[in-house]
Amino acid sequence: MVATTKAIGVDGPLFKRALLGSLSWLASNHEEVNRLNVFPVPDGDTGTNMLLTLQSAVEDVKESNAAEVSKIAKLASHGSLMGARGNSGVILSQIFRGFARAVEGRSSLTPAELAAAFEEAANAAYRAVNKPTEGTILTVAREAGRAAATAAAAPDATVPRVIAAAAAGARSAVQKTPSQLQILRDAGVVDAGGFGLQLILEGMLKSVEESDPAFTAIETKKPVVPAAQIALDLPEGGWGYCTEFLIEGNNLDTELIRGQIEALGNSVLVVGEPELVKVHVHTDDPTRVINLANGYGKLLKLNVGDMSTQHRRILETEGGQPVASRPNGVGIVAVVAGRGLVDIFRGLGIDAIIEGGQTMNPSTQDMLNAIESLPYDEVILLPNNGNVVPAAKQVVGLTKKKVHLVETHSVPQGVSAVVAFRPDRSGDDNVRAMKAEADRVQTIEVTHAVRDTRSNGVRVKKGDVIGLINEKLEFAGTDYAEVVKQALGRLGPDSYELVTVYRGEQASDAEMATLESEIRSQYPGLEVEVQQGGQQHYPFILSVE
Amino acid sequence: MTRSFAVVTDSTADLPDEWRTRYGIEVVPLKVLFGKETFRDGVDMTNEQFFSRLATATSLPTTSAPSPGEFAEVYGRLARDHDACVSIHIGGQLSATAEAARVGAASVDGFRVEVIDSQTVSMPVAFLARVAAECDTLDAAVAAVRERVPRTRVLALLDTLRYLEMGGRLSRAQAMIGTMLDLKPLLLVADAEIKPVDRVRTRSRAIPRMLEFFRGDQPVETLAVMHAQARDEAEEIASQLRKELPDMEIPIGQIGCVLGTHTGPRALGLVYLKK
Repeated sequence: MVATTKAIGVDGPLFKRALLGSLSWLASNHEEVNRLNVFPVPDGDTGTNMLLTLQSAVEDVKESNAAEVSKIAKLASHGSLMGARGNSGVILSQIFRGFARAVEGRSSLTPAELAAAFEEAANAAYRAVNKPTEGTILTVAREAGRAAATAAAAPDATVPRVIAAAAAGARSAVQKTPSQLQILRDAGVVDAGGFGLQLILEGMLKSVEESDPAFTAIETKKPVVPAAQIALDLPEGGWGYCTEFLIEGNNLDTELIRGQIEALGNSVLVVGEPELVKVHVHTDDPTRVINLANGYGKLLKLNVGDMSTQHRRILETEGGQPVASRPNGVGIVAVVAGRGLVDIFRGLGIDAIIEGGQTMNPSTQDMLNAIESLPYDEVILLPNNGNVVPAAKQVVGLTKKKVHLVETHSVPQGVSAVVAFRPDRSGDDNVRAMKAEADRVQTIEVTHAVRDTRSNGVRVKKGDVIGLINEKLEFAGTDYAEVVKQALGRLGPDSYELVTVYRGEQASDAEMATLESEIRSQYPGLEVEVQQGGQQHYPFILSVE
Repeated sequence: MTRSFAVVTDSTADLPDEWRTRYGIEVVPLKVLFGKETFRDGVDMTNEQFFSRLATATSLPTTSAPSPGEFAEVYGRLARDHDACVSIHIGGQLSATAEAARVGAASVDGFRVEVIDSQTVSMPVAFLARVAAECDTLDAAVAAVRERVPRTRVLALLDTLRYLEMGGRLSRAQAMIGTMLDLKPLLLVADAEIKPVDRVRTRSRAIPRMLEFFRGDQPVETLAVMHAQARDEAEEIASQLRKELPDMEIPIGQIGCVLGTHTGPRALGLVYLKK
């Protein structure tokens, strides 16, 4: 460390280092963010989504030697927008965007300018959200900005102090989130997205602190959640590369491998079984790590960059190259997960399917690629999952094509929407009809609670069967059929005529048969149709119409 | 009867019994085959018998056109009292009936038979036969029928595509239903083609769609509501339409055995001649 490189202003290289620092820190802690699972359905992937978004933000930054902070901020803004996943990821991308706008044309930022940029970043995020909710990442961003502004107003303000204040402001805002949101209070957690932002600011602080060793007044507190953490020791020579991969072999000794990897880096995580071991390490010399690991078995490389492409699996429709053959010139793209559901959607005439859904949210870029791949200039996009909607919204402005977002929040809504599509009708007319049909259908989702919690007045224990009606937790029990019957009773079976059951991967033949016969005997007026959905996490998804 | 020429159609015209006697129209039956058992449509088997057997059949029935010999026999019999004949049949895109009629007619010497491919099915064929029966001369009848063929429409709402698909008349993809989901297709038979109009998940949503499409296709010259074992719904649709079109006679017809093999039970249809 060179004491003379005192950080006075935030220039390109410093901001780049700060971003890399936040990436490392978030990478080491994103599992904890995931564990802050507010809702008892298995969608605890806020940490992963934010990490993937941040990785995408940093991707181009890594290659850049720009001296100006504005150029680095612009790359980060563009990258995060392209890789934005999930709600928090999208908001994060808006934070980067606001920051980039605020620093446009600047080569370096004073502490006050940095604080102003933080504040503008938070404002931009608020503006991007339709109905801003307090007690979320938005509040945390705003409080971080305020704290930064206060620190910047002090006569001895420095860049590290401003970042430190922002991180501290974020931390205290995160702690307060349960008092702002009932859902967090009930679940006994802090807001996951807000915590993710706190980690990002802390990571920035660590890297900036490092560049200014004279500055020692900062303490980074451990995250508020009592959970196992990966200790993060600052390496002598910088932050290095976050390297992750799997080793496939025989009689792999995790203890032995861990010992050897630890000699090459830090934040080491080596877990697994004799046949398959997962390795995570921050190292300055990834090549040496990989060479070492190669000696143990077959390497399935899963480095940080690879993770985002892993999700990009765009399935073309049958018959290979799509041909623009619809009289209305309108294509349809849908996000779908589960073998059976993919077939169902494909059979309904979807032009491109993006695999993803509940716990594997596709990025804005994934959706954009699918849209660009079609031979149509007008495209209808169906996210089919509430968690995918935010990223889907981003796509609309990113292409020259006319993109209509039909905000389907579930598989049944998606099916109803596609069924209403007619190739002889204009895009706008189709969108109107598809929205109306999606709104008409009722969705029941049946899954298991992943944690003890209380939601919507229902108390659930980890492992309970829970039933959601239109994304809202309504029933908990021990038995699929029981929960489904209650949910159908709540909807009022007399108002409906058809129940379609999409059977998930986890549901056994016996469970399927029981459910079907129970619905038929309890509600003889309803037609019941069973389809193999093959979706994960939800043993049953029911469409009621 | 003063008319010197005979009018012939086939059983897929779903000609009401009453019209058969009133207009003196000869009906040649197609056949339904349950395994090795053959039934002449509407002769050896009533519509009710057919649908109750269909409901319990382990495998779906198949259908076949009358043979040229059967047509020849009918034409030969008619030649005794008539000097000519117009024979109006189910569309060639759906059945080999018209072709069998042509071949059959060629084997009857000295009797003029005008075979007309109606390009359609069900009661529009009966409408054409009635138009022919009301003409004074064969040439007038042929002209009146030919002029109307392009205006025939069958708007069919199937409860399932299964039967039509099994019968090989329309693939799921052609019906815009390349999926395992049991969608209710709304199909239009026009211009010698079966075209998908819409696809709907539930019956209660499908019926209004059918009416909506029909309203956009008016004005019409003649209209009927068809059904396969769905009389109540057909009555409801008819009474709704009678309110909208007070001056129009709107009969309710039953889908017969052969056509029912391809539509399946609970099919509904609006059939008409456009103006």
